[in-house]
Amino acid sequence: MDIEALLGALMRVAVIFFLVSTIGLISNAQAELYYLIVAGLGGEPRYAERFEAQAESMAQAARRSNGDDSRISLLKGDGAGRDSLTVELQRLSEVITSTDQLAVFLVGHGTHDGEQYKFNLPGPDIDGDTLFSLLQDIPASRQVVVNATSASGAVLESWLTEGRTLITATKSAGERNATRFGMYWTAALSSDEADINKNGAITVQEAFNFAASKVAGSYESDGLLATEHPALMGEASVTLNIALLEERIATTAELEVLMDRLDALEGEVNTLRQSREEMDSAAYLDELQDLLLGLALIQREIDDVRGIEREN
Amino acid sequence: MRRFVIAGSLCLIGAYQVDAQPFDYSADRNSVLRVCDKQLHSGQLYAANNCYAALLQNSADALVRAEAAWQMGDLQAANAYFRTAVEINPESPRARTRWARLFLMTHQNSDAIRLFQEALDLDSEYLPAKLGLAAVATGRFEDKAKELVEVVLESDSSQLEAYLLRARMNLEDGALEAANESLDEGLRIAETRALPLLEIYALKASADLLRGITESQWTKRALNFNPQYGGIYATPAHFYVITRRYREAINLLFEAVRIQPDLWSAHAELGINLLRENRVDEAQQHLSLAYQGDPYSAQIVNTLRLIDSFENFQVLNRDLPPLESDFQVDDRPGIILRLHNDEAPILESYVTDLVIDSIQAFSKRYQFELREPVVAELYPEHDDFAVRTSGLPGIGLLGVTFGYLVAMDSPSGRGEGEFHWGTTLWHEMAHVFTLEATNHLVPRWFSEGVSVFEEWSTGPRPGRHIPMHVLDAMKEKKFLPILELDNGFIRPAYQGQIMVSYMQAGLICQYIERDWGQQGLVDLLQLYRDGADTAEAITQGLGVTSKEFDLGFDAFIESTFRTTLDVLDNWKEQTQLAHEAADKGDWASVLASSAVSIELYPVYVEEGDVYILNAKAHEELGQTSAAMNRLEEYWRLGGYKPGVLHQLADWLYQSNRLDDAIAVLNDVIFAAPLNESLHAKLGDWLLESEKGELALREYSSLLAMNPHDEAAAHYRLAMAYRQLEDQEKTREHLLYALETAPHYREAQQLLLEILR
Repeated sequence: MDIEALLGALMRVAVIFFLVSTIGLISNAQAELYYLIVAGLGGEPRYAERFEAQAESMAQAARRSNGDDSRISLLKGDGAGRDSLTVELQRLSEVITSTDQLAVFLVGHGTHDGEQYKFNLPGPDIDGDTLFSLLQDIPASRQVVVNATSASGAVLESWLTEGRTLITATKSAGERNATRFGMYWTAALSSDEADINKNGAITVQEAFNFAASKVAGSYESDGLLATEHPALMGEASVTLNIALLEERIATTAELEVLMDRLDALEGEVNTLRQSREEMDSAAYLDELQDLLLGLALIQREIDDVRGIEREN
Repeated sequence: MRRFVIAGSLCLIGAYQVDAQPFDYSADRNSVLRVCDKQLHSGQLYAANNCYAALLQNSADALVRAEAAWQMGDLQAANAYFRTAVEINPESPRARTRWARLFLMTHQNSDAIRLFQEALDLDSEYLPAKLGLAAVATGRFEDKAKELVEVVLESDSSQLEAYLLRARMNLEDGALEAANESLDEGLRIAETRALPLLEIYALKASADLLRGITESQWTKRALNFNPQYGGIYATPAHFYVITRRYREAINLLFEAVRIQPDLWSAHAELGINLLRENRVDEAQQHLSLAYQGDPYSAQIVNTLRLIDSFENFQVLNRDLPPLESDFQVDDRPGIILRLHNDEAPILESYVTDLVIDSIQAFSKRYQFELREPVVAELYPEHDDFAVRTSGLPGIGLLGVTFGYLVAMDSPSGRGEGEFHWGTTLWHEMAHVFTLEATNHLVPRWFSEGVSVFEEWSTGPRPGRHIPMHVLDAMKEKKFLPILELDNGFIRPAYQGQIMVSYMQAGLICQYIERDWGQQGLVDLLQLYRDGADTAEAITQGLGVTSKEFDLGFDAFIESTFRTTLDVLDNWKEQTQLAHEAADKGDWASVLASSAVSIELYPVYVEEGDVYILNAKAHEELGQTSAAMNRLEEYWRLGGYKPGVLHQLADWLYQSNRLDDAIAVLNDVIFAAPLNESLHAKLGDWLLESEKGELALREYSSLLAMNPHDEAAAHYRLAMAYRQLEDQEKTREHLLYALETAPHYREAQQLLLEILR
């Protein structure tokens, strides 16, 4: 449900904007987020269409977040063969620096023959060890790799490395049915509902929680036993902002100051929350209100600086 | 020599004592045992025990030792001796048959059946083995029990046990005269052959009690013979339970355990029935006692576990608002809900409203005011609900009513949309009225009939809904005469007959209402309350004989359904074509075939209907408006698949038909209420319609579901409170929203506004 559509008559900000330093999309001025999105072999037309559509949607979310197509690699259809994928990963290993961040999304079918995982591609498949090696060559300090394929749980431990958060659609190699996770991961990148803290940015953790919850719910409402259990390992990059809900906008020095004040107040809110259990309820809410009012007023200042219209 | 697999070791924990073995009426029971038996049956327990002990020690016959050990409560020893007896004489069907009885007594029916079959493999005419199988079938209310008994009596008309099994089934069917005939013959045989009489006395007393004779001469006779024979009360109690007279059964069972404290089966029955009256502590006490004496009973264990699980439930007491009935009752009893902790905050208001609405409706329609609080239990675990219904024949799979207590599956107890819980609750609430208005004397068929009739007439899902296989049965003339309809529930003769009986009973009530008015139904209830049987009630209440009634009902069915039945085959064919076309993605053909189906039988929205398929075809062909119209027809006819109704609601909303969209989602609540997006969307639309109170309920349900987006749930609540001009609550929920999501822009702006 689009709350904004429903609550259009109420006071709201006309444009929600996101400032790079506020949301921490990039930790310093030079750090960039690169996306590699691969739609593997569908086999049947309905799967091929589905995987490509998901990949396109993910790419759209990436464009929105990055502002343009640069740093977004989308491989699909015949262009997603093993050689193309290898070449692209090698290219990324040369252009990405250690201060950059990497998000890899793999959608499609995966298989496991008891010994080895393979990501199904047009032409020869690519095995899990080869993919891992190619990913290891990319020096990005923070990475998230999302393997939304069947049997993806096979790589849950082997692909884990320092600085990387790994997400798989299944918890083990034995979960071999086509997965629903890709669909919900795609949705997460553009969903208000996934944005738990409403800061306009979807973190890796937020996206995973949303997608995992939706997967479980979909089987439950269909009255079926779940044949997939999404898993997340590696906490290193769970706070990485993987998608923005609106176009990003550049910041200024004045705004930077306001952002710092906002961050500080948010920190105080988090500190207060930790003492919630020990406080009287009314007193807690009063203190919370003071902080949140402060936050709201600073936000309003930021809106004014940006010239954002408010509807009353 | 034939080899047989000796049935598995008796799964015993120790030398516990289950109830004493059933009476053995076999002509070939060893005479030395009969001496001890006589002492036991006459209540000379000490002497009997010594007698059996001597046999256990001294007898050279393993079978005698087995019987003696069993009678003394040493089941491990009995099992071992039975095994030895079979090993010594593997060709003897008797040893296996008696061993099977031990398995039967310890609730291990599969092993018992296997041994009975092995005995019959040795001697295909061995009547005690056939009787053993008949006893199993009787206990399971299987129709084949009757056939087995008649086969035995055809072979040997002096088989006492066969008469007693026949009598039991007659009593269960309410055929009291037939039961007495069997019992009279059994009495004659027993007296002639000096066989035990107590069971016959107990069944005779049961027949008397079912006739309303509470001071039975047979009870006196039994107690004169053996003052500690608890079966004289426990046996009639069983028939009270079958006829849903649980309170009477409880009274008898209390007497049974008073005079025979080690009658574990009576303790178990007492516990189970006390639970049906919501007397939980007492139930637990007696079930615990029963478990100590009989740890083999899955029913006892499961019921005790169920009671333990009550700690996960909330008990909510709610008052009844003033009812709009013609009666003036000062102290209206309230209602009590037992809901799982996780579900109570979500379901409570909907369940409460539905129960209140049903009480309102039925009080007026059946001219009866409830005298006690209704207890409604909803079980998220289907297995827990199943425990509630165990041991009851032909009970509904979705809900059960024991009087003032209703138990049913929670919506979460089944797959989403698998059943319409609102209709189930409505159905069960109707049972409360038919049972209590008649002091539980209403026959099964009429109570079910009224419940089904009320589902169709006044329930939350409009229209008459008859599954296809019932229509097939109707076409094949499988409906029963009214005087036999109870059998369709208690002892179904074919698969699906229980549902056929439900529908027939509902149609009968529709027929009565059509020709005699609602008052006709009320009159029947009152006649049942006064002790009439169905033949008498039909004659006195409706002024026709049962045969005339059956003819009239047949004519009603003919006039109501002839057109439908004539097109049934064509409907099936077109429906099949539509589904096949859908599998191929040929939506134009789907449209054509499904449209024909709908034309042929427009009111059918049950399993296999084509409304949804037709709408899908329209949608695939880009005809959204037509798709929406078709789904609207589906909904108005009572279709309730949640996903479909969600789609319809969205389309209606997009077409600016807000009130209809809301109505559709309100109906989804009665099919699949445990859905976050349902409550969020419905709440939003209610808010948009300025119905803040109703929106608040939806948003509260949403929050109670621990939604993924908790901040948005609190924000919604804030908006609802704002509409209701509750500043404090608005502030509170805004703060909770921002606590989770400090950057939540809408919540920030609203907070600034209200604190301005």
